[in-house]
Amino acid sequence: MNAHPSPIQPIELKGRMILVSILRLHDADTHRLNEALDARMREAPELMRDMPLLMDVEHLTDISEEALTQVIEIVRRRGFKLIGLQQGAAAQSIAARTALPLIVLGSKGGELPLRTTQPPQAEAANESPPVAHKDSAPIQALHTASLVVNQPVRSGQQVYARGGDLIVLGTVSAGAELLADGHIHVYGTLRGKALAGVRGLVGAKIFCRRLDAELVSIAGHYRIAEDILDAERGDNRLVTLAGETIDISEI
Amino acid sequence: MARIVVITSGKGGVGKTTTSAALATGLALEGRKTAVIDFDVGLRNLDLIMGCERRVVYDFVNVINGDANLRQALIKDKRTDNLFILPASQTRDKDALTEAGVEKVLDELSQEFEYIVCDSPAGIERGALMAAYFADEAIVVTNPEVSSVRDSDRMLGILSSKTRKAERGEGGLPARLLLTRYAPERVERGEMLSMEDVTEILSIDMLGVVPESQSVLNASNAGMPVILDEESDAGQAYRDAVARFLGEDRPHRFLSTQKKGLFGRLFRG
Ligand SMILES: Nc1ncnc2c1ncn2[C@@H]1O[C@H](COP(=O)(O)OP(=O)(O)O)[C@@H](O)[C@H]1O
Ligand SMILES: [Mg+2]
Repeated sequence: MNAHPSPIQPIELKGRMILVSILRLHDADTHRLNEALDARMREAPELMRDMPLLMDVEHLTDISEEALTQVIEIVRRRGFKLIGLQQGAAAQSIAARTALPLIVLGSKGGELPLRTTQPPQAEAANESPPVAHKDSAPIQALHTASLVVNQPVRSGQQVYARGGDLIVLGTVSAGAELLADGHIHVYGTLRGKALAGVRGLVGAKIFCRRLDAELVSIAGHYRIAEDILDAERGDNRLVTLAGETIDISEI
Repeated sequence: MARIVVITSGKGGVGKTTTSAALATGLALEGRKTAVIDFDVGLRNLDLIMGCERRVVYDFVNVINGDANLRQALIKDKRTDNLFILPASQTRDKDALTEAGVEKVLDELSQEFEYIVCDSPAGIERGALMAAYFADEAIVVTNPEVSSVRDSDRMLGILSSKTRKAERGEGGLPARLLLTRYAPERVERGEMLSMEDVTEILSIDMLGVVPESQSVLNASNAGMPVILDEESDAGQAYRDAVARFLGEDRPHRFLSTQKKGLFGRLFRG
């Protein structure tokens, strides 16, 4: 028993989601690593910027301290936020040298697959903002770019609309992941994960023609499949954030 | 120029090799000069299903490495005209299939053949990617169960971005589904996904549904592609699939439990 219970808690712990990707290294050759990172950044530059990363070094065998320091430097220089090493035997032995914490992500420890970041063929709408009239001064674009995906998003694929809304015309499979800074619209069945307002927009919403999702999240608050009732699944659903709870209603 | 078709799935044991043998044979029977290539380096079993394992001298990797030329390695099928098999090697390691090597072999085959059927290994690793990389279209083989469908979905995602066509900005690889080992009575009992379920989940065109059938095992034991067994349900289903592949419109068969026999029919209604 506490003799002097204080009404104000000094800290508050809140369950919030942040996106962490795992960078699995298969090769410590700095030249090849640079090339591979370049290729990835060309594929999804928006997604990679400031991306929090866990590094998985379990597939590297006998890497020298010097080489590892170089690798970490390369990764950091690209703007990734390296937050730790994926727990595992190799990580264990080098963690002390790198001063990075060991982190277990997911239930299977070191067995998580590398998050793939290959958006399907997507087209950015509104690439050049319209100009009002030839003679008048150009007006500001009234609308930030939306990302329109006109094909199914399949298991293992991830699509991120940075700075705007994400509109998917097809189905989103179980194992696929949608992310947007703004709203998410799905005109097929949403079976995968959808995270709207990933950088904190609490007014972000998820609209879908049919909801059967693995996870829905708005501004870091989320509900997993287990917490989504059968009655909440179905046609024409709207997902919103009300205070701290995720609401699912019929449109 | 040949049309290159990859038979792929993600998952192993779903019927890719059975399908590769059937499709290649079916196309050849229709008078299309066809080559079928085993990309499953290390496991090699297309030649067994085609019944030509005793005639393998050189293989795909030999040709890539320049130890043999295509003419020496291609095996002419004994039963069917217009059909040639390029077997995989049983011994070599998977890295032997280099991108440049595969491209060279496909280019050379393209000069002479109308269709090239690539039998992909399981998985979504290098071997499977190599089999799909140069393809013009894909046939994704799936069994009516959740894990198989999930793997096919993943493979479809990969086909939309990791092929030469996609990398050249020509869009994803056109893909159609072949649902095999379909057991209507198990579907009716709710133990397996139905054709409609699978089509809905994968949102993709259905090239054919091949029933689970003892005739497939019999044919494979006899070293004969099942499509040559015209009496069998699986053989007929593969014939339908080949006809659809060539543009014919045929209804799907073998979707419901066996028709009642004479006795059943007499007492119906
Ligand atoms: N329609 C079918 N009915 C019954 N067994 C089948 C059928 N299709 C394939 N099989 C069997 O399944 C096993 C795997 O087939 P195979 O074609 O080798 O698959 P994969 O190439 O995808 O690994 C084989 O034993 C084969 O005989
Ligand atoms: Mg096989």
